[in-house]
Amino acid sequence: MSIGGILTILMYALAPFVWLLIMGLIIIIGLHLLAYLRGYQITHHRSRPANLLALLIGLTAILWVPWLTHSALGFVATAVDWIALIGAAAATFVIALIILHPLSYLISLKHEELPKQ
Amino acid sequence: MQKPSLLTQKVTRRALLKVGSGLGVGSLLPLSGLSASTLRTQAHIVVLGGGAAGMAMVNRLAKRLQGGTITLVEPRETHHYQPGWTLVASGVWNADKTMRPNAQFLPRGVNWVREHAASIDADNKRITLAGGETLEYDFLIVATGIQLNYHLIEGMKPELVGQHGIGSVYAGIEEASRTNQAIQTWLQNGHGRGIFTAAPTPVKCAGAPLKMTFTTLSRLEASGRRDAFDVDYMAPGASLFSQPWVDEFVKQRFDDQGVNRRHHYRLSAIDPHAKQAEFAFVGPESEFTSHHQLRQAEFRRDDQPTVIADYDFIHVVPPMSAHDFVKQSALIAQDGPFRGEWLDVDIHTLQHNRYPEVFGIGDVIGAPINKTAASVKAQAPVVEENLLALMQGNALPARHMGYTSCPMITGIGKAMLVEFGYADNFAFMPSFPFIDPTEESWAVWVMKDRMLQPAYYAVLEGQA
Ligand SMILES: Cc1cc2nc3c(=O)[nH]c(=O)nc-3n(C[C@H](O)[C@H](O)[C@H](O)COP(=O)(O)OP(=O)(O)OC[C@H]3O[C@@H](n4cnc5c(N)ncnc54)[C@H](O)[C@@H]3O)c2cc1C
Repeated sequence: MSIGGILTILMYALAPFVWLLIMGLIIIIGLHLLAYLRGYQITHHRSRPANLLALLIGLTAILWVPWLTHSALGFVATAVDWIALIGAAAATFVIALIILHPLSYLISLKHEELPKQ
Repeated sequence: MQKPSLLTQKVTRRALLKVGSGLGVGSLLPLSGLSASTLRTQAHIVVLGGGAAGMAMVNRLAKRLQGGTITLVEPRETHHYQPGWTLVASGVWNADKTMRPNAQFLPRGVNWVREHAASIDADNKRITLAGGETLEYDFLIVATGIQLNYHLIEGMKPELVGQHGIGSVYAGIEEASRTNQAIQTWLQNGHGRGIFTAAPTPVKCAGAPLKMTFTTLSRLEASGRRDAFDVDYMAPGASLFSQPWVDEFVKQRFDDQGVNRRHHYRLSAIDPHAKQAEFAFVGPESEFTSHHQLRQAEFRRDDQPTVIADYDFIHVVPPMSAHDFVKQSALIAQDGPFRGEWLDVDIHTLQHNRYPEVFGIGDVIGAPINKTAASVKAQAPVVEENLLALMQGNALPARHMGYTSCPMITGIGKAMLVEFGYADNFAFMPSFPFIDPTEESWAVWVMKDRMLQPAYYAVLEGQA
């Protein structure tokens, strides 16, 4: 298949989700920009709750990704099925982390800024 | 088999001269690194039918030809993604998802005649349109798909779908939605008998009647009252599917899921108000595969014993053939298994067996298997290459090996990627070495649910 063919297939496959992708990108870029302006550095900030929550979201993807595709976990049977599902869960974990990591930084700032009583 | 003699001797000098006039100026111009070369021509190519096959062909030819005229005869404004109809009738997809304007896929420079073709005069290379005008061609591609012959089932017409417990996924997108409602109504009744039928002729997507049975079984099981429902499958022959391994698998699965299989019965009449169906016993020798040989003229009822069955839901699969106007033309097969019903082409080169300037593609052709969009994907490059070779007076280089595919849905949420071809009694031809065609899989279901429609549109655009 030509590169044009692959691009055409991708274009049609992603078309229904374009608004979702754009919204997601805006949220991610917005969050990172906001956090960066307030001193956020991806390599320096550590947040156990953000990591754990992202992991949890990634793990639950194993349950809801089949449901999203009008199927059920019980039908995930072959090696290819499991590789695909684990891949989807890993991607979900990474996306969740990309959002939660700067978010946790902003939240921690907010807590620091709160006046002590 | 290649046919060098046919192609150069019988294609008129006029057609070849039209190509030749361009050949002098460097006919085969490189287009890009990704695509094959283009050909200068003054020929008029008419494509009849703008479904999966016809649309793929006009897109491919528009990229490859310079200077010629391409005319597409297609009456419909809307393109229907028919493989999605099974999902609509099973309550998984909305109907809207399967429709797009035809104009979206039409390449620039193609004349679109929004009319039905009414007749083909193959000897004079002339098409008459429903409005009475005529179109002359140098080369013709017949891609008019299939005619649904509901009239061969007494008392049945597509308008009945959705009423009186009648469903039929084939009749159209509206009817697919109404089939879903009819199944839903049956489910809500909480009990009763469902009869699933198959046709005694080749049908498009021979797996669709089986898929409808499997998805309905999923719904019955999900209702928690499976035991309150009886499910029968009435097959005209001994087999349920042409690929032998899949045939055995489906039979076993039906037995396991409590489907009563009855063989050698064809739906001959229906009484919608009484909710009764009549089945003719077509005899133990009858063999149903997707290359079954029963022709309309042979639909006899007098000497066949019949049985009457009550139903609460019935899934009707009509007998199918090429459209009447194709059947009335000289292009129809004159002998052999496809005589009188299907277009007479060489199943490998897809060139007409008697009119070399004519090619056939898609559901309309007489071939042992192949009435799928997946086959169209494999056939389109073959027709493209062979037509261009023919236009230059060369031997036909490309061969179709019968590739066809059916994501066999075995329940809502799982499927098997069944791909096979002509060779070795329809042996598997897997596209992906890592997907086992004999395994039920969630990933294959996701392919059917999410990826095949985009791939289909890429085929329409001549990209895949
Ligand atoms: C319920 C169902 C499920 C299916 N599932 C699958 C699947 O899972 N996988 C798969 O690969 N395939 C599947 N198919 C089969 C697939 O849709 C067809 O094989 C494919 O569309 C064939 O393409 P075609 O161009 O030959 O016919 P079509 O796509 O039917 O196009 C024929 C065209 O010819 C036009 N036409 C008709 N008469 C005339 C005339 N007189 N003049 C001019 N134009 C005319 C029609 O308007 C139509 O646009 C399924 C089909 C159905 C119905």
